[in-house]
Amino acid sequence: MREVHWKLLQYITGIGIFFLVGYHLIFSHFQSDEVTEWSSVSSRAASAGWFTFYVLILIFGIYHVLHGIRGIILEFSLPQSAVKALDWAIVLIGVAVFGYAVYIPINGFIS
Amino acid sequence: MEAASKQKVPLQNRLGIKGWVWAGRYKIERYLYTLHRLTGLGLAAYITIHLIANGFRLGGEGNWTDLMNIFSNPGIKVGEYLVMAAFIIHALNGGRLMLQHLGITLGKPKPPVYPYVDSMRRRRPLIWVMLTLMAALAIYTLVAFVIGE
Repeated sequence: MREVHWKLLQYITGIGIFFLVGYHLIFSHFQSDEVTEWSSVSSRAASAGWFTFYVLILIFGIYHVLHGIRGIILEFSLPQSAVKALDWAIVLIGVAVFGYAVYIPINGFIS
Repeated sequence: MEAASKQKVPLQNRLGIKGWVWAGRYKIERYLYTLHRLTGLGLAAYITIHLIANGFRLGGEGNWTDLMNIFSNPGIKVGEYLVMAAFIIHALNGGRLMLQHLGITLGKPKPPVYPYVDSMRRRRPLIWVMLTLMAALAIYTLVAFVIGE
């Protein structure tokens, strides 16, 4: 993939995050405190719809954040070898964060 | 061949991070560039804390309830409001950047008749609309947070 494709993905994930995180923020911060109570959290964790919602937020969010940070770092005129190392580091960080973060809704869904 | 290899060498960013703040007479677009990065990094830091906090769910009801008691602190509520404000700024400015990068808000080309109007100035009304919307949403969110308390 060329840089322009990664950039387009940045836009697509940005639009996705706008709706998903926007809903998440409104749902969890403009509602009563009941949404953060254990019973409410547990019932959402057991729902297939919410599970899909959380996984989508993770995929879109991790890509958007890491690609954004990559863009900021690349503004500091790195040599080509450092850019390759940075790309690999970002992929590894992304996979590690996704692995950790997706385990939480998986655990909630199956238990 | 030589020209092609030269193209791969990026221009040196001599100012580094100082260029985010000052490099001469910056226009409002440049400060929005800085604000976009600052809000993005702030949101990235918040997401990291959020994901760590989510991990407390694995520890069971006791751990989760203890964490939520800490999060009911008024100082944390101020932080939550700042996250909402950062989200509003980053989302609206991101939308503006997307429209501009895709050429949607550039307008039709015009003959260069004096006084010249560059594309940046032609797009400036969009920026004022966006800033007004940002301020309105930030105030609305603040009121909603205060009433919700």
